[in-house]
Amino acid sequence: MTMTRSVLMTRTVLMPGTVLLNECYKRIILLWSYRFNFLTETLMIGFLFVGISFFVSGGSPAPEQMAPALLGYLTWFFAAFAIGDMSQGIREETQTGTLEQMYMSPLPSGLLLAGRSVASLLVSSAMVILVGGILMLLLGIRIPVRLEGAPIFILTITGLYGFAFLLGGATLVFKQVNALSNLMTNMLLFLNGSFLTVERMPVWLETFARSLPTTQGIDVLRRVVLDDLSLTSVWQDGSLVWLVAHSAIFLIVGWGVFLWGERVARRRGLLGQY
Amino acid sequence: MKAAIEIESLSKIFRSRGGDDIEAVSRLDLTVEPGQVFGFLGSNGAGKTTTIKMACGLVQPTTGTVRLNGFDIRRQRGQAMQQIGSVLEGTRNVYWRMNAWQNLLYFGRIKGVTSGKELKARAEQLLRELDLWERRKDPVGEYSRGMQQKVAIAAALIADPPIVLLDEPTLGLDVQASRTVRDWITQLSAERGKTVVLTTHQLDMAESLCDRVAIMSRGQLLAHRPTSELLDLFRREFYKIRVRGGIRPGELKMIPGFTASRENGHTVLSGEVSADVTVFDLVEQVQGAGMDLIGISPAEPNLEEIFIELVERAELGPAQDSAMELDASHSRNISETGG
Repeated sequence: MTMTRSVLMTRTVLMPGTVLLNECYKRIILLWSYRFNFLTETLMIGFLFVGISFFVSGGSPAPEQMAPALLGYLTWFFAAFAIGDMSQGIREETQTGTLEQMYMSPLPSGLLLAGRSVASLLVSSAMVILVGGILMLLLGIRIPVRLEGAPIFILTITGLYGFAFLLGGATLVFKQVNALSNLMTNMLLFLNGSFLTVERMPVWLETFARSLPTTQGIDVLRRVVLDDLSLTSVWQDGSLVWLVAHSAIFLIVGWGVFLWGERVARRRGLLGQY
Repeated sequence: MKAAIEIESLSKIFRSRGGDDIEAVSRLDLTVEPGQVFGFLGSNGAGKTTTIKMACGLVQPTTGTVRLNGFDIRRQRGQAMQQIGSVLEGTRNVYWRMNAWQNLLYFGRIKGVTSGKELKARAEQLLRELDLWERRKDPVGEYSRGMQQKVAIAAALIADPPIVLLDEPTLGLDVQASRTVRDWITQLSAERGKTVVLTTHQLDMAESLCDRVAIMSRGQLLAHRPTSELLDLFRREFYKIRVRGGIRPGELKMIPGFTASRENGHTVLSGEVSADVTVFDLVEQVQGAGMDLIGISPAEPNLEEIFIELVERAELGPAQDSAMELDASHSRNISETGG
């Protein structure tokens, strides 16, 4: 009896790790099978940054001006990856029937989804390190490594995945949210303050931009990582407080929408239909 | 012993965009005993796949319950899901970009197998049994359709579930691949004691594999019986008489209830006789009509004929539950449906 209980406890403790490794395993295999596409996309992302930087700076970007832009751009890359994963990924898996197989798992779908999200985050982190590293080397950009940036980054990504869950839930029900995903990805690129700080936008646009995922995170991240501000000072000026609230709202609402999408998809029989 | 699958008052109503309700499954009651091969038959849109998906927890029933080895699919989802593996119709079920080995390991972990050693041993055993071992490192997308289906079946079995749901498992397969899958279904039940639920349009396959069949039409159950019992119920005094050459209309009238057709230059008379008529009486009638008799043989009804008859009858009037309805129909001539 004690043995059985200990085995069960061990399994319960090990299960999230197994799920996470399993999802990473799948992601890496699938990414490798699309390696040509992956390399092309990576190059394109690099060129896009250089192109936009030249355009925004009137043809003469300075490395010190490009650091904030690159920080924002790499955060946007996480957003693009997460949004693609949750909307396009779910749509493709609905078509191939692998989503139904996932939902036939005895493990909670929340655990599987969390495993997928963390795996997606790890893979996108690897890509960001690769793209960011190449750009920093080629363009002479320096982004200092500050541990105080880590909680800000985690908060930003939390809100971002909340938003991705929201799109994932919508994909389960409406299927054709491709255009919406693309719109959101592009909107985030131009409105998250990567290339044009939100303070320089008209008030109405700034308000809208600040409501989007990643905008507030990028703003606080820059101030902590590049301007060397402490966490206390960004907390005291309210920007970190707003980031915490913003990310929590996105996560709660996104997760709620995903659960709603699951319920509706089960009720209407949409998990395996496109 | 607990039933492998217990379905009680299961209904599913889909609401269409126009506001109309479509009742895909209507108050279904069904029990599948452990170790049986159970055939779920019905035309397209009969409600088979919806029922299977409700049993897998993929579609939420409007009313009713499904229990898998005693575990309620809604209240004890985790335990219920450990009881089944399934291959669903019309989809890939596995990742075609991954190879067979990778797919089995991935789905094994998703289905809760935590021991890597156990998982690898099981994956190897399945791949060897299905003749996929040599090509285990090739992406599934490069396999033939039959091999891809085998990988999907192996993935369904990777966690060794006691119940296997196969929705049209031989759809689109060539004869050889279809035979392999059929042999495997037999083996799963006979040698490993698995309960196999099978939906198929291939009624000859259902007849040869299934211990029990349920026939559905428009979401309702028309029959639910052991296959042999269903065939017995429709077995009548039905004969085929083969005579040399052609016959004249007047000669046919001398054998009432029979219809004639041509086959390889001979005439085949098919028809049902009443219980008090013997084969000898038939021989006398044929010879008395001046026909050159080659042979007389009893014609057995097959599942396809029974299926067509039941579905046609259901389309004419409201579907009724199996037993009484089938018994009452015993005397009906099935020659009209192609016997």
